[in-house]
This record gives sequence, structure tokens and C-alpha cells, in this order.
Amino acid sequence: MRRSERRELLERVIELAEAVRSKGLDPFDVRVREFFQKLRELLPMLRSYEELFLDAQAVLGLSDVIQHQEEWVKHRSSVLYLDPLLIMLKVQALDSQELAEIFLRVWKPVVEVEVLSPGGLREALDYWTELSPLSERAKELEGGGKGVSAIGERELERWGVLEREEFEKLLEKTRRELERTCGKEGKVSYWEFVKGPSYEQTVKRAWMVSFLVSYGYADLELDPLEEEITIRIRGERGQPEEVKSLPIAITKEWWRGRYAGRSGRAAA
Amino acid sequence: MQEEVAELRHKLARAAQLLLFKHHMHPGAKRWELRRALGRNYEQVLRALDQELSKLGLKVKKVEGGDADSDLFVVTFKEHPPLNEFRTFGWRIDDMAMLTAVLAHLVVKGGKAPAKEVMQILEEKFPKWRVQAGIDRFIRRGYLSEDDKGVLYIGWRTRAEIDQQTLVGLLLGKPGEKG
Repeated sequence: MRRSERRELLERVIELAEAVRSKGLDPFDVRVREFFQKLRELLPMLRSYEELFLDAQAVLGLSDVIQHQEEWVKHRSSVLYLDPLLIMLKVQALDSQELAEIFLRVWKPVVEVEVLSPGGLREALDYWTELSPLSERAKELEGGGKGVSAIGERELERWGVLEREEFEKLLEKTRRELERTCGKEGKVSYWEFVKGPSYEQTVKRAWMVSFLVSYGYADLELDPLEEEITIRIRGERGQPEEVKSLPIAITKEWWRGRYAGRSGRAAA
Repeated sequence: MQEEVAELRHKLARAAQLLLFKHHMHPGAKRWELRRALGRNYEQVLRALDQELSKLGLKVKKVEGGDADSDLFVVTFKEHPPLNEFRTFGWRIDDMAMLTAVLAHLVVKGGKAPAKEVMQILEEKFPKWRVQAGIDRFIRRGYLSEDDKGVLYIGWRTRAEIDQQTLVGLLLGKPGEKG
């Protein structure tokens, strides 16, 4: 068998397994035994690391298909098994009111209370205390009222938001630093990592971490009891497990209390 | 004796806070959180809390996680809300209908189905824009979850709030004819 044919076969097995996993293809449509036999015959011919890697992926994919077959059999033999087509026809036949009535008859809502924690209250108070009167803030808005336009790179530089380094480079630098800091343990305290020599640097580091998390390079883990946040680095870039927004406020006052105060440094 | 009672009261209050208050996005607490906050006898505390909540028409419910430590404990209604009060929960009839259809489909498909397939089914009955917005909302609220391959799963909130087997049973029992 030629190299291209070997590769084609391996890729076909991987794609089939993927179709079972993500597209709901019937796992029994995959001839697992036959494919395993072919892979066995193929193995002595595989030469490169790439081919061996594909072979391992194919074996993994086929074992995944077997797992799906097991789940399928379990589900079909359970009391919950019904023909999806029958359910679909029923759903189509009922109007919204009837479907909503069914929902209400099987629904026992979770009771949840929105609260402001002492920490949140403190943050709100700090924000309010530091907020200068509107009249003063209006003075700071130079050129306000002249219309809306994009902020130039130079302006961002002046504000210290964007330095001469390109954003991508900065992000990569932060990622590498995070990787180093996490070490073998693969995690680090959020507040330890974002700590910078000045308030502005701390905010900037927190800003970069937010991008690393959004882009799937790292995850944030919360301990609601301890109110501790941990950054866990990902082995390779992926999708965040659960997309949610996590606002983290860093006020100057709070920064002074946590970092500068502790080390005796004055705020920058 | 008085000290024990006071400690139990304190733990009851703490358990109620953990279960009822939203922490970031979710209400409820995981088993390991309860054990850590309430001590080894956390299950006794939960039973006592359940009895107290029962007087208010509420109950403590366990939602099974992947392993025992990740079991989630929440407080739910003891009975279903009256049909004429659904508006007080901020739901639209269309949303409830849509979620019923999605869940029925997922239940009979073994708990998961490609999002595209689910949306195709819904779009036969509801406007496309509403379907997309509805699915997003159900995911945000935890009724559904979606993986990076676009497969929808039954979410933690569905497991906490909805009797899935009865839902399918009622759906099949409905004649679907307008009198």
C-alpha cells in the first residue's frame, strides 16, 4: 500500500469516528472490527512519526465509537427510549400553549437569591469614593462633544494602553510568562500573577490575562468560599469549557491595600 | 446543649446562604464546598435545612455530577408552580414551548444531539431568529450546554428542575388535536 493510501485510510477512520461523536452518526454504521483489522495490517508499514500519530488517533477514534455503541445499547434498552421521529411528530402537532403547559407540569424551578457580598459592597464603596464629581470628569474629557471617532494607536500609547510592542507580541509574552510561572503544577494564583510594580501595570497584566482566557490559552477557576481565583494554563489552545463573563474590579485604592500596602511601597 | 443548638443554627444559616445565594453565575453549592463549610455532618445539616424549607414549599435537591464530590445541591420548589402564575417567573410561552421541544428531543436521543439538528426541528415551528436567541438563552441559564463541536447536551439546570421522564410521557399522552 502506498504512503498516500495509508494516510487516506487513517484519515477516513478518524473522520468517521469524529462524525459519530459530533454529528450523531449511528455508531453501528462504522465497521469497527474491519477497520481494526486494516489498522493491524497497516501498522508494520508505518514509518514516520506522523503516520504513527495518525494511527494512534484512528485507534482512539474507534475505541470512542465502541463507547458510543455501548451508550446506544444502554439507551435503547432503557425505559426512556422512544423513537425520536414519534416525539418530533408530537412536538409538531402541539401548539405553543400546549407545549408550555407540559413544561409547567414538569418544572420545579430552582430558588436563587441575588446578593451583594461584603467584598462587592466594598468595591462599590471604593468606586463611589474615588469617583470625582461629574463636573470635574467633564473637564478631563478633552475635546468632548466633537463627535465619535476611532482612537489612534498613538493616543493609546499616550494612555499607556498600547505600547510600541504589538498587541500579539505582548499577548505571546504574557502567555510564555504564565506558562513559566505555572510550572509543573500548571496553575497560579490570579492575584499573584497579575501583580505588577504599579497600579497601571497590574491592570494591564489583568487585561492581558483576560485575553488569554478568552482565547482559550488558560482557564480561570473560582473558589466561591475562599473568594480565590486561580489561573490554570491549558496544554494547548482550546475553547473555554463554559463561556461566562467574570468581571474583576481593580480599583487604585484596592491595589494600594493589597499590594503596595503589604510591601510598604507607595502607589505609582 | 445550648452551644450545640447555637452551632446547628449557625450551620443551618450558612447552608441556606450557600444553597440559595448565587455565587458568580450559579446558585447552589457542590458537595465538597458544603463539607468544607459545614463540616463532616453536612448531610445532617442539609436534612435539617430541608425540613425547615419544606414549611415554605421548598426542598433541597441533589443534582448528580461526574463524581460524588461534584454533586450539586440546590433549593427548588417542592411542587410545580400553578399554571396561571408562569408570567411571574418572567418566561414567554414561546420560550417554554421551545425548551419543551428541545428537551424532549434530547431525552429521546440519549441526552445529546447536534445543535444544527435541534435548530432545524425548532425552525419548523418557531421563527429562526427566536430559535437562535432561545438556544443561546437556554445555554446561558444552564438548561442546555454546548461543546466546541456544536453538540447540545442536557444542562445542570434541567437536571435540577425538570422531570425529564414525565415530560416525554406527557408529550406522548397529548393528542395534539384542537377541540
